Amino acid sequence: MSLEKKIRKFLQGPKKGEAYELRSGLVSQYKYERKDAIQRVIQAMTVGKDVSSLFPDVLKNIATYDLEQKKLVYLYLMNYAKSHPELCILAVNTFVQDTEDPNPLIRALAIRTMGCVRVARMVDFIEIPLKRTLSDDNPYVRKTAAICVAKLFDLSPKACVEFGFLDQLRGLIKDSNPMVVANALNSLFEIKDMNVDSSLVVLEFDSELIKTLLMCLNECTEWGRITILDTLTKYEASSSEEASHIIDRATPQLQHANPSVVLSSIKVILHHLGSVKMPAQRSAILKKLSSPLVSLVSSSIPEAQYVGLKNIRIILEKYPQILSKELRVFFIKYSDPLYLKLEKLEIMVRLANESNSTLLLSELKEYAMEFESALVIKAIKSIGSVAIKLPDCVIKAVNILSGLIDQRGDSLIVNETTTVFTNILRRYPGKNDYITLIVPIISAHVSEINKSEATASYIWLFGEYPKYFSNLKDHLDSLVDKFLEYESSIQLHILTSVVKINMASSSNKYSNHLQRVLELATKECESADVRDKAYIYWRLLSSTSTDSQKKVILAKLPPIETTIPSFNPVVLEHLIKELSTLSSVYHRPSYTFIDPSVYSPVNEVQHKEVAKNGKSGNMQDLTNLAKQEIINAKNENLLDLDDNDADDDSSSTKSNNEASLLDELNDLFSTPAPQGQNAQTSSTSTNDILSLFGPNTATANQNTSTGDVNRGLSDLNLNAAPSNSNTQQKTDKVNNDLLDLF
Amino acid sequence: MGQVISFANIFGKLWGVNKEVRILILGLDGAGKTTILYRLQMGEVVTTKPTIGFNVETLKYKNLTLNIWDLGGQTSIRPYWRCYYSNTAAVIFVVDSTDKDRIDVACKELHLMLKEEELTESTLLVFANKQDQPGAMSAAEVSQALSLTELKDRSWSIVASSAIKGEGLTEGLDWLMDVIKEEQL
Repeated sequence: MSLEKKIRKFLQGPKKGEAYELRSGLVSQYKYERKDAIQRVIQAMTVGKDVSSLFPDVLKNIATYDLEQKKLVYLYLMNYAKSHPELCILAVNTFVQDTEDPNPLIRALAIRTMGCVRVARMVDFIEIPLKRTLSDDNPYVRKTAAICVAKLFDLSPKACVEFGFLDQLRGLIKDSNPMVVANALNSLFEIKDMNVDSSLVVLEFDSELIKTLLMCLNECTEWGRITILDTLTKYEASSSEEASHIIDRATPQLQHANPSVVLSSIKVILHHLGSVKMPAQRSAILKKLSSPLVSLVSSSIPEAQYVGLKNIRIILEKYPQILSKELRVFFIKYSDPLYLKLEKLEIMVRLANESNSTLLLSELKEYAMEFESALVIKAIKSIGSVAIKLPDCVIKAVNILSGLIDQRGDSLIVNETTTVFTNILRRYPGKNDYITLIVPIISAHVSEINKSEATASYIWLFGEYPKYFSNLKDHLDSLVDKFLEYESSIQLHILTSVVKINMASSSNKYSNHLQRVLELATKECESADVRDKAYIYWRLLSSTSTDSQKKVILAKLPPIETTIPSFNPVVLEHLIKELSTLSSVYHRPSYTFIDPSVYSPVNEVQHKEVAKNGKSGNMQDLTNLAKQEIINAKNENLLDLDDNDADDDSSSTKSNNEASLLDELNDLFSTPAPQGQNAQTSSTSTNDILSLFGPNTATANQNTSTGDVNRGLSDLNLNAAPSNSNTQQKTDKVNNDLLDLF
Repeated sequence: MGQVISFANIFGKLWGVNKEVRILILGLDGAGKTTILYRLQMGEVVTTKPTIGFNVETLKYKNLTLNIWDLGGQTSIRPYWRCYYSNTAAVIFVVDSTDKDRIDVACKELHLMLKEEELTESTLLVFANKQDQPGAMSAAEVSQALSLTELKDRSWSIVASSAIKGEGLTEGLDWLMDVIKEEQL
């Protein structure tokens, strides 16, 4: 060593710091020091320190006979490959050598890591090792390689097809080992989801394939079973016999300890149920489903129960009779978390029938005495829902509720009960005995009503049944006096009710109130909606035709049929198909929450299909189409504006096919509207006058809408997902009414 | 985790036992680096594929534990050679003696590499490989073409070799061991 060098080295001084220490450890001349350094690097990595700067030095240690060290280096490599994409090729030689290792664990590890290194340059080198491992003798290596194919496809679909991996993967479905079969299937499904090339057929089912899958169903691990069961739901049985064979094979899986397997098999059975021809056989199969469904709720983990309940809700909607005898299972336990209790109530209400109503109502009464306010509110609502569902229970339910008010008497209960009572009266309009039973209860507790929904409800009751309120005048006085203090949605209700009372009573007893309310609303009220509505009423009342006045003002709301929310049929079909997935918990079809860029090509295909069907003029398809369009419009606006051209084209061809109705729907398409506001968009684009009459969705939401016009909107809001065509029809009808008037 | 260092390790470190000597085998692609490595390690000729990345083998030679790194010689991998320079005792540069067209490239790569600061203390051994092939340049000719005589302040040597026949490899390695042992004293 020359003197100059020695001096230079001395001047540099000792380097310090963790990174330096680790680096010198990694390139140490002693084996044990290198291993120790690697362990420390991984330790730092797992606690979240960025050790990517050591990449080349860690990489040097990849070629080793020490399995432990190899695993650690591979782990590091997977984590940081993205940070040094070009350096990754230095590992290729080792990967290739390791896939020839006599130890199957190392072979699998190598191909798995190679697949996990998501670097484009890796694609050039993966061909030989992947081909070798796909035809390995060891099933564990084969199944690892099968998964690797999907990873490669994600990186480069072209290479994946060119190298023939897709064919090799398809061959693995017929493998002798069930684990390999399940993983190959899974891999193919992932490829199918990623595939954007419509000319590429990833996977086709035939009855032969289904038979082999059914054969290995029982030998698989639970994950494998789920995959195979999922596959079965994507297959359409060619005959009734085949469908019942599949169901027979899936039925034993209902006993599995894993709830996901149980749900998947339920999904399979429901999917193939339609193909079974004999009705007797079908109902026998359905009967078999009730105990596995119950088993989902008996899990000890509340989260699993919750998922089970969410899925049960979907299944119940489609097959309401399925659990009719199992009400008791859904009774709330004191130790259940709140979300579970609320979800159980949802199920219980849906299971209500004549034979279990007494039991159910007394149970619900218990819940209404609990201390958690969310549960109490839900219980009261549920009592109302039961009364609305079963006409025989009304008196009993009303008695329970009035008993509750007497016993607990806090404003929470009064508010909730008022709304429920109003809904009951809307379900059974004009039933004298119900009105005489309910109105005095509300009337006695008016002072305790302070929530806007409840206030709106009782004001609506005044307007609807003025005769039954003994001290109507006092109530009206206080309402009119405090008119300006209320929020605008309540003001709208007061306005409507006062006009209705005046219209209904023959004498001019309340004309003072009318005068004052109209004046306040037009002169002093700040809300444009209230003012406009008041003007309309004023003008209407000034017209001479009492018939038209009565027709508009005293029009009865359509009776509500249920307060139990249900899914739109299209959504329900989606959800049944997506049982046991995240969408079954969200209760939303997967395309509404999964990144649209992943699914956009698929969407386009769907939407073309729907466009074809649209020619038949089927109302259902049109609804579907409209919804799809709105989602598309939304997605495209977020993603890519260029696509709009194609979209416009397709909608214009459609409008040629469908004359007037579609023209109006097209208006919708050109406006990018969030899904939830469909109703609103359609009303504004149809006619401006409507906005005067149906100014506020808040009123519509309460099901206690103010006038004729809100009818359509409120009905829509009863359904979880509004359907466009319905709005269109209803708003049209209202339109005609208005035109008559003017 | 691994913080406890055994007495054996400490004494080993003191006496230089278990200490590995890092040797790099470099050279253009197809010069025969991987063949030389496995010839040295296993004593037999293996069929090789172009090395994408590196091979590393440990072998005991004259009481020294050698850690021999064979790095891929393709143009795309050459830039990454520098990752391996630190703590390197010696560089074995392999030249395909029959490849007269690319001897200039080899010369350029060699001198580029030797300029690296981390390699200023490393010994250089050049194998003029593939002597079994007809038309191979002699060691002197290769030395001329690589302008080895210009090298100052470095111990170097050139040996004519044939990895296939196993000629020249031990001679070269023997020389290398002598130099390394001398440096360590």
